[in-house]
Amino acid sequence: MVDKKDMKRVEEYVYEIPKSFRPDMRVPARLYADAELLEAALGDRSLEQLINTATLPGVVKYTLAMPDIHQGYGPPIGGVIPSRTSDGIISPGAVGYDINCGVRLLRSNILAEEVKPIMGDIVNALFRGVPSGVGRSGDIRLSHRDMDDVLEKGSAWAVSQGYGTKDDLEHTEERGGMGGANSRKVSGKAKKRGSSQLGTLGSGNHFVEVAEVEKVYDQKVAEAFGLFEGQLAVWIHSGSRGLGHQVCTDYVRGLQQAVTKYGIELPDRELVCAPFGSPEGQDYFAAMSCAANYGFANRQCLTHLVRRTFEQVLAGKVSDWELTMVYGLTHNIAKVEEYPIDGKSTKLVIHRKGATRAFGPGMKVLPADYREVGQPVLIPGDMGTASYVLVGTAEAMEKTFGTSCHGAGRVMSRRAAKKKIRGQELQQELAEKGIVVRGGSMAGLAEEAPAAYKDVDRVVNVVHSTGVARKVARLVPLGVIKG
Amino acid sequence: MRERFEEIEHTADLAIRVYGRDMKELFANAAYGMFALMAEPSKETTCEREVSLEATDYESLLVDWLNELIYLHEVEGETYYAVAIETLLPTELKAQVTGGPTRSKTKAIKAATFHDLAIEETANGLVATIVFDV
Repeated sequence: MVDKKDMKRVEEYVYEIPKSFRPDMRVPARLYADAELLEAALGDRSLEQLINTATLPGVVKYTLAMPDIHQGYGPPIGGVIPSRTSDGIISPGAVGYDINCGVRLLRSNILAEEVKPIMGDIVNALFRGVPSGVGRSGDIRLSHRDMDDVLEKGSAWAVSQGYGTKDDLEHTEERGGMGGANSRKVSGKAKKRGSSQLGTLGSGNHFVEVAEVEKVYDQKVAEAFGLFEGQLAVWIHSGSRGLGHQVCTDYVRGLQQAVTKYGIELPDRELVCAPFGSPEGQDYFAAMSCAANYGFANRQCLTHLVRRTFEQVLAGKVSDWELTMVYGLTHNIAKVEEYPIDGKSTKLVIHRKGATRAFGPGMKVLPADYREVGQPVLIPGDMGTASYVLVGTAEAMEKTFGTSCHGAGRVMSRRAAKKKIRGQELQQELAEKGIVVRGGSMAGLAEEAPAAYKDVDRVVNVVHSTGVARKVARLVPLGVIKG
Repeated sequence: MRERFEEIEHTADLAIRVYGRDMKELFANAAYGMFALMAEPSKETTCEREVSLEATDYESLLVDWLNELIYLHEVEGETYYAVAIETLLPTELKAQVTGGPTRSKTKAIKAATFHDLAIEETANGLVATIVFDV
């Protein structure tokens, strides 16, 4: 068991577990946290999981965990694993089952104040208009050919069907489509699981949230992102649904033999992996890219449903109900990116598991209107507190492989939350705070209660203070639908 | 009655500890434990499905078994409450599951994982901990 005394503070809010801590570690492991978040991390097995990631072949510099770290399976949630493409690995277990679970933020041109009196109507309409909940199907049925297009083109497929605009694509990570996706590497079972779930929110921590920009910290960057105080905005959080789950299941199973074949020793079988350049590694990468594209397309379809709902509810009531993409990004993914290692530009497979890309200014892959300031880093908090928009920095490129945290991070188990909190009472409490919440089930709502999460202000303060991402705006929830 | 499974703490996901006098009972109880998390029991018996799997060891087989049932539950819209395991070798499983249409889903389980998975022999029989991604 790792203890506080095993960790060295390398700078304020950055702790390092040295390579010498365990003989199988190839590099040190770093945690971004303040004293209280460190205590929380020591409260479950997340640091042991972080140490496990430092044993993987080809890892460079250090593996990382962000301040929203908590226990997952395989790597901790909030984990970042950089592995060389030349002699390193790609791991389906390290990406996780909800491949390209991610978030997007839409901005309106109106003040939240204008719609607060009808927030109940908006939330009810969203609950009707956006399929959500356990195993719920959507209205979109995909033929085999459509499915292959979704898997290989991602959001561009959804836009070609009228579910969005070119501007949406411009403002999505990877323009909403990973290259190298090959639908032949995705099993029939995965395609079957995904055939009726496009345009559905799912359950768990997935949500649509109507929010108000409460405070702007950085006027110049906020202007570049089109954000202003008092503005109405919408968050969408969902993933690649059953299709992504099955792709991960298939490759976690299939790659168990690759581990033996390539002589890889693992501290946890869920960290199953294959050399990135091997046929097994490349097959997974192509299939994962397909699942990521399904995730992008899913959020694009959800965006369409939210816009349609806004039009239905707000037309005639407010002057403008248009919603424009601020940005869309992914939380669970492996991507090839280049970073200087030992003074040499090196291609790395960056696994982000519950972590957000946070590219700084000047990166060519960013949309033209953000290139000068950096990438929007979207950090949804819990449904009763706040969410943040930050901006990526040059420091992130140096220190964290261009990565920031992805949310508040859980601190209480779902089981404990259900025991401690009653969904109905929570709904009432939030209503008293002016937040309208609707969920598929009261138990599901209780599991996602604000008390089950860390303090998002504290988590964001760590990434802001370390310079990994800088605060741009804080948003507060007004209406939430949970799956 | 002897406990078949229990839910245990996990920060982000769900985990169960499963018991069995022998391997067949452990596998059956793992399925019962998982479905207890996922859905209300089905009241009617309208479907029977054959499950046939091959794997490299009992642990892989256990994960495959549960993931196959998750797949059938999601794609066929069925919940199973009776399990008959005909063959169970370290590399092979043949079973029949019986159930009915899912009436009320309580939790979407994305997958059963290998995390922390070990089938252990104790004085009282076999024990396994299974972590599910939810």
